[in-house]
Order: sequence, then C-alpha cells, then structure tokens
Amino acid sequence: MSALAPTAVLAASSAVPFAVLPALVLVPAVGALLVACLPRRRPELLKLAAVTTSVVVGGMAVWLLSGFDVDHGADLQFVSSATWMADLGISWTLGVDGISLFLVVLTGVLFPIALLAVDPGHDDRAYYAWLLLLEAGVMGVFLALDLMVFFLCFEVVLVPMYFLIGRWGHGNRAYAATKFFLYTMAGSALMLVGILALAFLHADAVGGPVTFDLVAIAEAQAVDATAARWIFAAFALAFAVKVPIFPLHTWLPDAHTEAPTAGSVILAGVLLKLGTYGFLRFGLYLFPEASHFFAPVFLTLGVVGIVYGAVVATMQRDLKRLVAYSSVAHLGFIVLGTFALNTEGIEGGLLQMVNHGVSTGALFLLVGMVYERRHTRQIDELGGLQKSAPVLAGVFTVVMLSSIGLPGLNGFVGEFLVLVGAFNAHRWFAVVAAGGVILAALYLLWAYQRVFHGPAEGDNATMPDLRLREGLVLAPLLALIVFMGVYPKPVIERMEPAVDALVAHVEHHVDGFTEPTSQFGSEVEPGHGDDDGHGESDDHGDDH
Amino acid sequence: MDAAVFIVSAVVVLTGAAGVLVARNPVHAALFLVQTLFGVAVLFVLQDATFLAAVQVIVYAGAVVILFLFVIMLLGVDRAEDLGIEPIAGQRSVAAIVGASMLGLLLTVLLVGVDGPTGARGANAALGGAEDNTRRLGEALFTDHVFAVELTALLLTVAVVGAVVLARRVRGPLQPMPVVTVASATGSDDASATGSDEATATGDDPAAEADDEGEAG
Amino acid sequence: MLAVATPEVLWWALLPVLFLSVGGLLLLTVASLVRRLPDWLPQAWTVVTGLAVLVACVPMWCEVRDEGPRTTLAGSVAVDGSTVLVTAVLAAVVVAVALLARPYLRREDLPGVEVYVLLMLSAAGGVVMASADDLIVLFLGLEILSIAVYVLAALHLRRIESQEGAMKYFVLGAFASAFLLYGMALVYGATGSTRLALVAEHLSATVLVDDSMLLAGIALLLVGLAFKVAAVPFHAWTPDVYQGSPTPVVAWMAAGVKAAGFAAMVRVLVTSLGTHASDWAPPVGVLAVASVLVGAVVAVLQTDVRRMLAYSSVAHAGFLLLGVQAADADGTAAVYAYLVVYALLATGSFAVLTVMGGDGDAAHHLDDYRGLARRRPVLAGAFTLLLLGQAGVPFTGGFVAKLGVLAAAVADRGYWVAGLAMLGAAAAAFVYLRILVSMYLEDPDAEAADGSTGPAVPLGARVVIGVACAGVLFVGLVPGPLLDLARDAVPVLVGS
Repeated sequence: MSALAPTAVLAASSAVPFAVLPALVLVPAVGALLVACLPRRRPELLKLAAVTTSVVVGGMAVWLLSGFDVDHGADLQFVSSATWMADLGISWTLGVDGISLFLVVLTGVLFPIALLAVDPGHDDRAYYAWLLLLEAGVMGVFLALDLMVFFLCFEVVLVPMYFLIGRWGHGNRAYAATKFFLYTMAGSALMLVGILALAFLHADAVGGPVTFDLVAIAEAQAVDATAARWIFAAFALAFAVKVPIFPLHTWLPDAHTEAPTAGSVILAGVLLKLGTYGFLRFGLYLFPEASHFFAPVFLTLGVVGIVYGAVVATMQRDLKRLVAYSSVAHLGFIVLGTFALNTEGIEGGLLQMVNHGVSTGALFLLVGMVYERRHTRQIDELGGLQKSAPVLAGVFTVVMLSSIGLPGLNGFVGEFLVLVGAFNAHRWFAVVAAGGVILAALYLLWAYQRVFHGPAEGDNATMPDLRLREGLVLAPLLALIVFMGVYPKPVIERMEPAVDALVAHVEHHVDGFTEPTSQFGSEVEPGHGDDDGHGESDDHGDDH
Repeated sequence: MDAAVFIVSAVVVLTGAAGVLVARNPVHAALFLVQTLFGVAVLFVLQDATFLAAVQVIVYAGAVVILFLFVIMLLGVDRAEDLGIEPIAGQRSVAAIVGASMLGLLLTVLLVGVDGPTGARGANAALGGAEDNTRRLGEALFTDHVFAVELTALLLTVAVVGAVVLARRVRGPLQPMPVVTVASATGSDDASATGSDEATATGDDPAAEADDEGEAG
Repeated sequence: MLAVATPEVLWWALLPVLFLSVGGLLLLTVASLVRRLPDWLPQAWTVVTGLAVLVACVPMWCEVRDEGPRTTLAGSVAVDGSTVLVTAVLAAVVVAVALLARPYLRREDLPGVEVYVLLMLSAAGGVVMASADDLIVLFLGLEILSIAVYVLAALHLRRIESQEGAMKYFVLGAFASAFLLYGMALVYGATGSTRLALVAEHLSATVLVDDSMLLAGIALLLVGLAFKVAAVPFHAWTPDVYQGSPTPVVAWMAAGVKAAGFAAMVRVLVTSLGTHASDWAPPVGVLAVASVLVGAVVAVLQTDVRRMLAYSSVAHAGFLLLGVQAADADGTAAVYAYLVVYALLATGSFAVLTVMGGDGDAAHHLDDYRGLARRRPVLAGAFTLLLLGQAGVPFTGGFVAKLGVLAAAVADRGYWVAGLAMLGAAAAAFVYLRILVSMYLEDPDAEAADGSTGPAVPLGARVVIGVACAGVLFVGLVPGPLLDLARDAVPVLVGS
C-alpha cells in the first residue's frame, strides 16, 4: 500500500526514442488506408500488408513492455499530448500505466494472430482495412487520457466491428451486426452527455477553462457527489453494455456466434475489455465515491452473470455460442473483482482481462478451425474428433483447462485473486462465484467430451488435423497461457503499483472507506508468491 | 365621436368577414369581402392614415376583389362545393376547439394588455396634418424601407415565374402514383422490428407493382 | 424642395444578393429571348454565379473580421460573420444542386431553364434572410425563398407526387408565413420597431410592465420559423415533400432552406430577443427533443429512403434547435458549425439519391439499394460515409457537429434535453443502419445481379459526392478550422 500519493503524476518517462503511443494508434490507421489503396484482386499482397502492419504494432506494444519503468508502475508513462479542439479543450493525450499496459500488449499480440489465422474468403481489401481500423480504435481506447478522445475511440470501434460481423459473418449476420451496433450505440449515447456534464461541472468548480483531461478531473474530484453519481451512472451504462453485464448481455451471443472467426477473437479478446477497462479507468478512478456507492449493484450483477452465463452455456448446442456464454461468466468475474475495491480483486480482474483475451481468443480460433473443416458448430454433429485430430484436441484441452481456471494455467491466477478479493470484501458473493467456477468446469468438460471423445463417424473420422500454419498461430497463445500460469510475477509486479494507487485513490476520496483487506491478511498479503508456488506444483501434477 | 365611428366600422368589418365565411355563393362572398375592406379603410381614416385608406379602397376593393370576381365568373358560379361531408373525420369539431382557444387567447391578450406593453396610453396623432401623411409614407418607403420595397419587386417576379412554370402544359404522359409502403413493425425490440420489416418489404413489393400496373392501365 | 436623406448603401455587402438575383433574372431574360439555348449554358451560368458569390464571400469575410460587423441601408441589412458564412453555404449548395440538376433533367426529360432561375432567386431570398436586420426584410427574404421552392417542388410536372408534395408544402408554408407575419406585427407592437437592433435595444433598456403582447408575438414567430425548419410538431409536410420533389431540389431544401431558416431563427431569437431567452428557450428545447425523438423513431418505420432521410432531417433540425435553445454564443457557434456540416451531409446524401433514383425518379425503396456494395462499391462507400456522418459517428463531421450543440446544451445545464436528444440519435442510427444493411448485407435481386452494374454516376454527381465526403471526413479529423470559423461567425447586432 504505497501511501496516499496521487495515482498519476505525469512522469517524464525514461528516454522515449519516438512517440510510441501515437504511433500505436496511427500505424494501424495508416496501414488501413494503405490496404484500402492496394489492388483489390491481390489477396496475398493485401494480407501481407495487413499482417506486416499489425506485426509492427505488436512489436511496438511488446517494446513498450520492455521500456515500461517497473519502478514507476503507478505513473503514466510515455505521455504525449496534442491539441485537437482548442475551443473545447480536447487534446490527444495518450499515456500508459500498469493498468493499461497489458491490455495494449494483448491488443498488439491478438491482432496479428487473428489476421494470420483466417482468410476472409471474399472482399479481402475491405476486410483487412476494417480490421486495422479496429486495431487503431482499440489502441486509442486503452491509451486515451482525455475523456473525449476515449469516447471517440470507444464509439468508432463499432463501425469496423459492425462491418466485420455483417459482411464476413455467418448465418443471421445482418441481425447480429445491427443488434451489436444499436446496443452499444444506445449504451454510450448518455455517456457523451455525462462526459460533457462532467467537464463543464469540473470547470465550474475549479474555475478554469473547460478541460477533458482525465487526470486533472479525477485528481480534483471537484464535482459534488450527487452529480457524480448521475454521471457515473451514464458512464456505467455504456460500459455495462460493452462488458456486457448480465441484463444487457443479449447482443453478445449473437454477435460472437455470427461473427467471422477473426471477429470473434477480437471481440472476445479485446473489445469486451473496453468495458471492463472503462470501469477501472473511467469508473473507479474518475468517480471513486460513486463507484463505492454503486458497488453492491455491480457485485450482484457480476455474480448473477457468472452463474447465469455458466448455466446458459451448459445448455448450448452450438459450440461457438457455448464459448460466447462462457465469456459472460468470465466477465462476471472481472466485474466482481473490480468492484471488490481492493488490490487483490482489481488485480485479479485485470489479470482475468488478459487471460480471458488469450484463452477465449484461442478457443474461438479453435472452434473456427473445427468449423472450417466440418462446416458445423453443432455439438451433436461433432464427436470423436480426438482420433482424427489429436493435436487439435490436445491444444483444445490446454486452452479449455485454462478457461476453466486449472491451477498452473493462466486462468487460475486471475480467478483466484478475484475470489480472494471478493471474499475479503463480501464473503457470500465470493462463495456463489466459486460455484460458477465449478459450473465452468462442468460445461466445458462436458462439451469437450461430446466433441472430442466417443466414436468418430462420417466426416468426423476423416477430419484433418492441425496444419503447421495453424499451429504457429496458436503457439504464442499457448505459450502465454502456460507462462502466465506458471510465472505471473512479471505481469503482476507491473500492475500492482498502479492498482495499489487506484485503491488508495478510492480510499482517499470515499469517506469512511478503507480497503477491505483480508481477515486473515497476514496469510494472503505475501500470497502472490504463494500462488506461483501452487501453480507450479499443480502444473507438474497435471503433466502426468 | 371616435368611439362611435370605430364601433360602426368594426361592425361593418366583422359582419363582412363573417359573411365571407358564411356565404354559399362565391360572388356574395367576394362582395362581403369588399364590405370588410371598406370598413378597414374607414378605420385607417380614423387613425389619420388617409393615404393608406385611399390605397385600401383603390387596390383592394377596386382591383383585387374585382379580379376575384372575374375569376369566379369565368369558372362559373353555379358550381358550389358540397360542404356537407367532412373530408377528414372530426376536423370540424377540432377546428372549432382550436378556433375557440385561439379566440380566447387573443381576447386574453387584448383584455389583459389594454394599456399597451409600456403601460402608457397609445398615441397616434404625431404625424401632423393629413397632407403630411403621404409624404411621410413615401419617405419611409424610400429611406428606411427601401430595401424591402426592392425585395418586393423580386418577390413578385418569383411569383410570376412560378405561376408561369406551373401553368405550363405538361409534356409526356403522367407517371402513376406509386404505393407507399410503411413498415407495420412497431415491435419494441430490435428482433421483431428487423425481422418483420424485411417480411413486409418483400411481401409488399409484388402488391405495389400490381397496383402500379393497374393504375397505368 | 424637401431634402430626403437617402440611406447609405454598402454595395459590397449586397454583392451576393445582387449576383444571385441578377444572375437569375438575366438567365430568365436570355432564355425567353433566345429560341434555342445551348443545353449546358443554364447550368454553367448557375455554377459560375454560385462560385462568384463564394469568391465574393472571401473579401467580405476579411472585411467583417478586420473592421467588425456593419449594417447598411438604414439598418435593414447586416453584414457580419454569420451573414457571410451562411451566404457561402447557400452559394456552395447552389453550385452543387446545379451540378446535380442537369443530368437529372435530361434523364427525366424535363424542360431545363426554370430550375436554375428559381434556384438562384431562391438562394437570393436565403441570403436576404441570413443578412436581414429588419423583420420586414426577413419576411420578404423568406417569401422569396419559399415561393421559389414551392414551384421547384412541383417542377417534375409528370409526377403526381411532385404536385401533391408541392401543394402541401405551399398550403402549410403559406399558413406558417401568416403566423410569422402576425408574430412580427405583435413584436413590432410591443417594441415599436421592426429593426432587430432597435428591438433588442428597446427590450434591454425598458422593463415591460406587461409583456403578454411580446410573448404572443414570440410564440407566433416561433411557430412560423419551426414550420420552415421542419421541427416537430410542424414537420408534417417534410416526408411528402421530400418524397415527391425532384431529388436535386430536395438537396436544396434540406441543405439550403434549412440553413437560411436557422440563420433567420438565430438572428431573431438569440440576438434580437436574447433578453427574453428565458421565455422562448424552454419551448425551443421541447421542440428540439420532440424533433429528435419523433424524427428518429418515425424514420425507422419507413421503407422509402427519401422518407427516411426526410425524417432524419427532422431529427437534425432537432439537434440544431438544441444549439438555439442554449441561447448563447457557444450555442450559436455550434449551430453554424452544424449547418455547414449538415449542408455537406445533406447535399452529398441527396446527390446519391439523385443518382439512385433511376428513370422516373422512383427507385427509392430500400430494396433498390440491395447489394449496391457489389454493384457500385465506390458509390456505396461514399453513401456509407455520409450516412455514418449523419449518425454522428466519431471522426466524421457529424460527430463534431453534434458534439458542439450537445456541449452548448450541457453547458447550459440542459442535461435532460441533451440526454433525450442523444437517445434519439441512437435510435436514428438504426435508420442509417437499415440502409447500410441493404447495401452491404443483402444480396442483390436475381435480375439485378445479372450483369446490371447499377446506375450510372454522372460527372456532376461525382464531384458533389466527392467534395461532400472529403468535407465530412476533413471536418471530422481536423475540426479546428470549422469551429474557429463558426465562432467568428456569431452574429453581433449593430445599432443603427
């Protein structure tokens, strides 16, 4: 617990050779333009250009990881700023801290994989251009330190995603795409009003010119509590739709199921995180008091989401839909951790964001590969795939176990931290949520059994196994799954200062609130090392 | 004296206006209009606006209404519209209510605001002698309001051009009126809206085409 | 002899009106004298006139910026930033409509001179409205604009819808004009002047013991103006007129008439009657919200793209009113920025519709757009950009425009108004999505797929659509210049 120091001192970050953050946003956007200018009839050239662009972005994101100053994890680093609308005080302020760092990296890693893994089949040029634009928008959301820039990017990702689902999706794609667009657009409509209200009220209260600067507004906390609660509600609605939190989730199964494989991967891996990230950066940080006030609501909805997602997933006949509903459950965990309002919970939530991106992204890739071979996703029509495609089955096992949260794989660390955090804050929520973990094991293992075990008949028996290219695409994800399960320390130590500072910020600004730490704090406090130990030993056990 | 003249001419104006509305014969209506316009001219005189009174009589009563009468005569006076049926159900009662509320509003304004907005009595004799009237009017028109006068010329030109364009003989066959299809979907959630929209769209198409052909034939 | 002091005339300030009216009348005269006018001449003449006005706007803008706003002709005409800005918008739209009109007239086999004449005269009326410093002048400008547009609406003589729409427009428009005139009379009665500056001066210097006459006048003015800009509940003419009128004319109605109407509204309400903003702002706020919500929701139920865009223009009027009801410089600047962006969006969109209409200008059903992305990818792409702009998606001009008016409303503590308007905007997004779905996500009909490549796009339409798209994107990415322009354009009343 590092004192009550302000979360984000705009640290003059260590030697930045070039404006890496603007580049993260601009390179994919320029790449999209470039792709749009290439000849339509050269798919391989288009793919080359798109993949190169995304690999460059991914490289920069990973470089960011190495350049990130671990000792100042709580500070915003690599900050760059450029005025955009002088009248309204809107400027392109970008920065990264321990909270956004790994989401940026995740984005950088997932996009090349999604681009490499699947070919669109038709209209290649538009497909690649939209995907790259999507990447630019997502990067913008994770890096933005200006409320209005955040909103712009948050909104603009809808357009590429809409076209990706609508033009390259399956089945009822027009319906799914429209539903996705409208839900999210309607959700964020009020957020714009909220942002404006916040900026003007802040300007009134501190008596300066209007500014949309996140740090300035969050540190001043000048808006009175009632107004802040209303504005938080407007923000929360937008995030809740995006996450999605339980009653607002209905767009998600449709969008996931009908989206093309790359779309599902990005949607699950990155886009859902826009909402949960929003809750952290623009919920807890911006409105500590209101977040604390509304926390019970979100905790409840989070737990409901966990159980509901798990139960509904159990009943799905479509493999992809099952994975989609499992996302609802996983995101419930993230929300639960976030609103536990203590270090373990938030850290767990953050880790879970990354984990879910990796493992659900991989799951969607695998389901896509099965679909590509068998042209069906119905669990009933599949069966015994283990015999014809042992490698695929093996990879699926690992990814699935990570999604279940098996110790030794990445999912465990995040889920465990979330449960610890929630247990410390609100015991019964944690107990119910833990039930969700069991349900997750149930539906995933059952689905696995039906798809991969049993006798293989007809086309199932002759299904080709994983190709080299597919294996190479999956390899980095598998590596991440294992690495983060076995040795999460590098990740956690970069997150921890920022999360601590965030919790301190909440404590500082909420009267009478102290971080709900463990009743058996002494055991959990050094606990992270402990987790690792557990992870390792269990991992060995699993290898048998 | 003033009051008496006002009351008499007001009665003339109002009965004339009522007559225009009530008269079933268009010629009678036009004549009632003349009565109203004359009454207004008297009111102008009462306000010392002698020039306006003259213009009122010459232009409105003398020219405009005569034109009306010409048109009415040319089109034939024997054709009277059947006013017994209401084209839109309930429009008369609605009109009555709206009219009554309008009247109420105006009366309120008039009765509440008798003393004028500034609280001082209105004054209108500042213009000087009657012979000054025309000169002042002309001066106002050609100094303060010269742009408005010029614009009126442009306005009249536009109106003439428009009238000529619209009155021109139509070349070629008329196009039939297509059938407008309005989606019947009123479902509150998007699912039913999208679904049924598409359904109506495809369902209505052949019908619309059939209608078109029917009208053309 | 009596010496009458004639008012001083700033001729440079009248150049736009003179260009447009003389241009129109000259064309009319020449066309009626010369038996066979070359086909291209009327269009070229109109384009040149429009461009001349645009060019004239540059020195006017500099003059106003350096020397401050001015009034001329005894205070009946103002030259300020807003005048010049709206004039430039009108002139640009005139050029665009002229470019669209010729291929349209040829396709529909319609006679070709009157459109241009009426267009220029109508624009002259619009410029007068934008520069009016006097209620009477304002009214005359409005009538010149309106009467020309009534006739333009009826110009497709063989389409009964065109006649029907024009008739509706005429009757309701005349009705609205009567309201407006009565309102002006009452305002004159209450303040003793028709000069906007004198009205404002009187109202700020005098405390009215009883302002019922003034309020009644304002209410009637509001009704009249709301009719002209098609705000709910005075919008009933819009869908029929938009559906019936020749499509290039609709572009003029949507972009030009709306711009002139809002310019007039801002002049009268915000600058002249600004002291009574607390009286008229709440009703304007109600009109704004009602327009956005009704426009968006009813548009969803349409299957004719023109009707969809008609209702969406009602929703846009609502957003513009949001800026008006803020009743301050920020709101006014936002309105002007919105007008510029909307002019781009509307001209571009209706240019696409002009092209899509096909023979008889009838192919405007949503089904006619099916699979357009395959048949005409570039046209579909441009339309997509314009529709996304109308929906207010970030990084298009539409977002910048909406942000401005919303910010003005929120700064004014109009949270409810802004919130409801945003919900309406989200509903309106569905309308644009339906068109996008049709273009991209539905396959073309079997017969359409057989080799027909979709409508031909004439050069004029290409230019208009291209410029509109470029403008929308530019404003979306680099909003600074437009916002500065709009801020400089906020009108200031100059007492005579």
